[in-house]
Amino acid sequence: MTEIVPQLLIVDDELHVRESLSHWFAEDGYEVMTAEGGKEALALLGRRSFDVVITDIKMPGMDGLELQRRILEVDPDLAIIVITAYASVSTAVQALKEGAYDYLAKPFDPEDLTRVVEKAYEKLRLRKENILLKERLAATGPKLVLGDNPKMQELMGLVESVATTETTVLIRGESGTGKELVARLIHSRSPRAFGPMVAVNCGALPEGILESELFGHEKGAFTGAAAMRKGKLELADGGTLFLDEIGELSPKVQVELLRVLEDKKIVRLGGNQEIPVDFRVVCATNRDLEDAVRVGSFREDLFYRINVFELRIPPLRERPGDILPIAEHYIRSFSTAMGRQVTGFSEKAESLLKSYSWPGNVRELANAIERALVVCRGTAIEPEHLPISGHDRPQREAEDGDQLSLSAIEHRHIERVLESTEFNVSQSARILGIDRVTLYNKMRKYGIER
Amino acid sequence: MASGWWLELVRVGALPPSVMVDLREDLASLLHSEVQISASVLDPDPALDLERRQYLATELLERLLDPPPAPGARRIAVAAVDLFLPVFTHVFGTAQLDGQVGVASLFRLRPEFSGAPQDAGRLRGRLLKEVLHELGHTFGLVHCRLPWCVMAASRLPEHIDLKDSHFCGACAPHLAPSCATEVIS
Repeated sequence: MTEIVPQLLIVDDELHVRESLSHWFAEDGYEVMTAEGGKEALALLGRRSFDVVITDIKMPGMDGLELQRRILEVDPDLAIIVITAYASVSTAVQALKEGAYDYLAKPFDPEDLTRVVEKAYEKLRLRKENILLKERLAATGPKLVLGDNPKMQELMGLVESVATTETTVLIRGESGTGKELVARLIHSRSPRAFGPMVAVNCGALPEGILESELFGHEKGAFTGAAAMRKGKLELADGGTLFLDEIGELSPKVQVELLRVLEDKKIVRLGGNQEIPVDFRVVCATNRDLEDAVRVGSFREDLFYRINVFELRIPPLRERPGDILPIAEHYIRSFSTAMGRQVTGFSEKAESLLKSYSWPGNVRELANAIERALVVCRGTAIEPEHLPISGHDRPQREAEDGDQLSLSAIEHRHIERVLESTEFNVSQSARILGIDRVTLYNKMRKYGIER
Repeated sequence: MASGWWLELVRVGALPPSVMVDLREDLASLLHSEVQISASVLDPDPALDLERRQYLATELLERLLDPPPAPGARRIAVAAVDLFLPVFTHVFGTAQLDGQVGVASLFRLRPEFSGAPQDAGRLRGRLLKEVLHELGHTFGLVHCRLPWCVMAASRLPEHIDLKDSHFCGACAPHLAPSCATEVIS
């Protein structure tokens, strides 16, 4: 591999200084160019790039400070080291205030100059590497498929803005709208992107198990705790903690979580040692937390602690323009994964996709496309491949719904989804955004049988 | 010459002749190229900067080129005076990169300069490495990243002690091919 040679520009009106410095750095393997004044230096900088500029301050015509200003206007990342025989604290401070990397007074110890230039180059190299890695990460990281919906465009703008901060974020939206994807987007664009992203579904586990999942436990903390285990809060150290379905937390865990968020310390179950943790918190819920606070099932202090910056993801039915771009994204994605040649939709299938209400949002749409690809034998998806029907159009559903109770609507909707999946309970549960056990319970409750 | 190049050592000013004799012996055993001591002595006074009380190294290089060395020859001057380059407080030595002349000084290489007791053996070793280092520059070699290679940059005399008196496997081939393998440790 070819070693990258640092590019150095030396600017000084005195020939012997230019020669001394260029000779010195040439011996160090730098590629050195010299200029006898600011004007010549700017001309050189216009033609090619440099990593470090060493400039004298006192020069006829354009002085070093003016040169520095002009350079930094164009390339704020360039490392500039100023040197002068007219050493004065005020000049040094002025140069440093205006963005110089460092300052040396002539004559200087060769070791000092080499160290300063090496450090400046290393800093620049690391900055460039950091930018490159972030770009690569952004290119390979999670992506939100967008159409032309202004609400979604605004949401992406807010995600970009909040991602670079340490602010706690609360993501709200119906089931299946992509709350975890937004959380991953925030993490991938944050300064913690190289740290872990730890996701916890607070609604999926009973209180005791969730406590152990979050806080970890010491060996022997309870029956079956054969070894020490770190919890999710500890594992998120240096990264982002994503608490999904935060509204499902029990009152006890709410108190414990609030304490952690306040103190940034945890104690493992069965332990007594406080362990400092450093993570950024992103929460998500599809519940009306304000209402939960009003009825007392969610602590007000925890609500205000997590609801610092709110992001609302609109349901798919409110952004019909996004349906086709998202569907096409999943066609590409699943076609590649399944080795299929499906490239798009027939006109009728497109119109069906657009007319359906998508109560399960993007998750339901993704599942529908996956199912369609399994059964499609041609290159275009037809209406019969899609596990939805025109009966589910929102307008008609709203008309029918006016005459029905909430549980009747739930009953009917579960039946429809089950029919559309040919009674595949796992797939239906995914579409409905609930777990299989809950779906079985509801099927029993409504007497739904195959 | 058998190896295609040879080295001429030039004594500068009042440097004791015995230093040159020891240095020639050390270099000859390592390089297997002919190492001569020039009969003429270089007067450093024209390079003296009265204000700094130091000697301008580049001025000494200029004087070493008069008369020009024969093609293939390398000419390294050895001084006991304090050398400097403009803007720098001091240098241990300097050389034409990919040229024919260089200069090294033992002024700051003496252990007592940095408060250590006198040590003739250590001083001899440091001077040998400094001369090899400047010789390497005349063959176009830049500073090596291997800390034990004689072409590694030495910002302090103590750094020189950490280096070998040899060119590493990457640097050695840049010297005349016939001597390269002889120089590798």
